[in-house]
Amino acid sequence: MIAISNLTKRYGPTEVLRGASLEVRRGETAVVIGASGGGKSTLLRCVNALETFDSGTIEVGGIGLHPGPHSGEDEADRKRLRRRVGMVFQQFHLFPHFTIRQNVMSGPIYALGLSVEEAACRAKALLERVGLADKADARPETLSGGQQQRVAIARALANEPEAILFDEPTSALDPRMTREVLAVMADLAASGQTMMVVSHAMGFVRRSASRVHVMVDGRIIESGTPEQVLDSPQSPQTRALLAETGD
Amino acid sequence: MPAALAVAAMFSIMPALIRADALDDVRRRGVLVWGADQEGGGPFVYPDPADPDRVIGFEVELAELLAQALGVHARFFQADWTTLPEFLENDTIHVVLNGYESTPGRNARMLSTRPYYIYQLQLLAREDDQRIERFEDLCNPPRGGRYSVGVLGGSAAATFLGDSCGSAVAAYEYDGNTNAMAQVRSGVHDATLQDLPIAVFYHRKPQGRGLKFVGPPVGRGYYVMYVRKGETRLAEAINAALRSAISDGRLRAIYERYELWNNAQEALASASAESAGAQEATGLAAVRRYGPVLVRSAGMTVLLSLASMPLAMAIGLAVELARRYGPKILGRMLTLYVEVIRGTPVMLQLYVIYFLMPKVVGVGLNPIIAAIAGLAINYSAYEAEVYRAGLSAIPTGQMEAALALGMSKAIALRRIIIPQAVRLVIPPVTNDFISVFKDTSICSVIAVVELTKQYNMLANNTSAVLEVAAMTGLLYLAMSYPLSVVARRAEARLAGLPSRVTA
Repeated sequence: MIAISNLTKRYGPTEVLRGASLEVRRGETAVVIGASGGGKSTLLRCVNALETFDSGTIEVGGIGLHPGPHSGEDEADRKRLRRRVGMVFQQFHLFPHFTIRQNVMSGPIYALGLSVEEAACRAKALLERVGLADKADARPETLSGGQQQRVAIARALANEPEAILFDEPTSALDPRMTREVLAVMADLAASGQTMMVVSHAMGFVRRSASRVHVMVDGRIIESGTPEQVLDSPQSPQTRALLAETGD
Repeated sequence: MPAALAVAAMFSIMPALIRADALDDVRRRGVLVWGADQEGGGPFVYPDPADPDRVIGFEVELAELLAQALGVHARFFQADWTTLPEFLENDTIHVVLNGYESTPGRNARMLSTRPYYIYQLQLLAREDDQRIERFEDLCNPPRGGRYSVGVLGGSAAATFLGDSCGSAVAAYEYDGNTNAMAQVRSGVHDATLQDLPIAVFYHRKPQGRGLKFVGPPVGRGYYVMYVRKGETRLAEAINAALRSAISDGRLRAIYERYELWNNAQEALASASAESAGAQEATGLAAVRRYGPVLVRSAGMTVLLSLASMPLAMAIGLAVELARRYGPKILGRMLTLYVEVIRGTPVMLQLYVIYFLMPKVVGVGLNPIIAAIAGLAINYSAYEAEVYRAGLSAIPTGQMEAALALGMSKAIALRRIIIPQAVRLVIPPVTNDFISVFKDTSICSVIAVVELTKQYNMLANNTSAVLEVAAMTGLLYLAMSYPLSVVARRAEARLAGLPSRVTA
C-alpha cells in the first residue's frame, strides 16, 4: 500500500532523512518509533506530499511521488493521493469556523464532491463510531483535546481513505484523553484499516501494531513485530531508546 | 463664583482687546496682510516663473499700490481660495484680494470695498469644435444631449452658468482655472466658462493652447476686496486709495500691463458695489435653503465610498492572494505596487488618473469614474496589507489539514482560510471604510463636488457658516455611524454558528 525507499531530505545543512525505507501493507498498522528529531514526522508528511523530499521514491497505492519541489502539473496527483490517504495531526487542526458535523463533512463535500446529504450521512455514522454523536452541532473550541482528536479521526475517515497517517496523535493530550483516542485507534486497527502511526505510546504499539519501525537519525534501523522489536531488540540504539521510554 | 465671573468678563473683553481696529493694526505693524491663492493662477496672483518663491500678478501690484497709499508694506498670505474668509475672520489677514466677485452672500458676511475691476465671462472651447458658436448654444444642445462644462468651483462663472442654463448643461467645478482648460483640451469637457482676465491671460500660454474664444463675453460683475465686517475705517482707506489710483491712471497702467484693460473698465470710476448684503437666511431658514444641496452632495460622498470601497476590498484581496500563492516575480511586482500606492498621496493619484492619463492615452475619464477608480486603487493597497495580516494570523495547520483532506488549494482558500481571515479583518476594514468616507473630499481636486467641497463653497458665499457647518457634521455622522453599527453586527454574526456547510 505504502512503499518508501531510500528517502533523503535536508533542511539547509541538516540532513533529516538519510535513506529511509519502509513498507506498509494493506490492512497493516505500522508504527514508527524513535527519538524526537529523528525524522519520523517528516517521513510521515512526505507520504501525503505535505513535505517535499530530495531523493528516493514513494509510492502510495499506485501513485508515485517525485523528489524535488512541487510543481503545478503534479497537483492533480497530489490531490488524488491525499483523497486516498487521510491524516491526523498532533494539534488536531479542526476548522474553527465549522461545527463538528461540518468538520467531518468538509472532506467529502469539498474534496470528493459528494452531496450534502451523503456527507451528512457519513458524518452521522462516524461521529457515532467515535462516540461524539451528541456534539455534532458544537464548535471545536468547546470540546476537550481528546474529543477534538476523535473528531479529527472521524474527519479523516469521512473520505473513506485506503490508509490513514497519524502524526503523534496523542502527544498533546493528558493520559485520560490519550486513552480515549488510543481506544478509537485500536478499534480502527482491529477493523483492518491500513494505518501508519508515529507514536511514543508503547502500550498501543504492543496491543495494536502489526509492525514496528525504529527510526534513528533519518534511517529505519530496525523493523519487526512488536514482540521482536520490543522484547528482543537487535540494535543497541533500539535498546537505548526503549530504556528511555521505560517499556 | 467671583472667579467664574472674572473669567466670563475676561472672555467678553478679550475679543475687543485682540480686535484692535484693523487700520490701526496695519499702521502699528507697518504691514498690510492680504490673502490670496496662487492656485487660482494668472493674471491674479501666481508664482514668478523666474523665481517661484516670489508671487507676481496684477493683484500683487494692486496690493503694493494700496500698501504704499497707507504708508506700509504689503505682505502676501497664501491660503486656499475658498477658505480666505475664515482667515479674514480669525485676524490672520487684513483683506481678501483675489478676484472675489461681489455677491449678496459675501456682502452679508464681510465688508466689501468699492469695485477694482469689472469682469465679464468668456466661453472657451476647442479650436476644432464647431458645435458651439455663442454662449446661448450651451443651453440648447442638439438631440437632447448635454454639454459638459468646467468652471471654477464657487465662482461667478459657476453661478452664471447655473442661472443661465440650469440643468441643461453638466457643470463640473474645479479648484484651479487651468485644470478646467486642460480637461477641455483633452476632450473630457466640451467648454469652460472663465473670467475674462483669466481667458485673456492663458490664451497665449501653453495652458490655453488649442482653445478658442466662443462668442462675445457674457455676464458682468465686480471684483471687490473684502475686509472684516465692521472695519469701515480700513475699507474707507482702501476705497480712497483706489479712487485716486483710478483717477490718476495708475490702476489703468497696471491693467494694461496684463492686457486686462478694456472699455468695460471705463465705468470703474462711477461703479459702486451694493454695500448691503441681500436678505441672508440664518437659523432654520438657512437649514431649509442649504439643507437640500448639502444632502445631495452627501449622496455623492455615499456614492463614491460605496462604489470604491468594495472594489478596493476585491482588488486588495486579489493582490494579497497573488502575492501569497502566486509566482514569486508577480509577488514582487505586487509588493512594489502596494508600496508605491501607499507611499504617494491619493491626491497625486487622482491627478494622474484624471489629468495625465488623457494626455498619455488620449481618452479622458468621467470625473466620477476617475474618482472611484482613484479611491479604489489607493485603498486596495491598504486592504492588501490588512488581508496580509489577517491571512498570516491563520495557523499553517489549517491549510495543511485542508490539503490533507484532498482539497485543492483554491477550495482550501475559499472554504477554510478566507472565511477565518474575513472575521479577523472586519474591524480594520470597517476603519478604512469610515476613513474613505472622509477621504472622498480629496476628489474635489478633480471637480467632483461632495460634501466637504460643497461645505467649502457654501461657507465661502454665505454668512450662515455655523448652520452649514453643523449640517455638514451631522450628515457625516449620519453616514459613518450606521456603517459602524453594520460592521459590529457582521462581526457578531460571523462569530456565531454557520448553520450548515454548503457545497
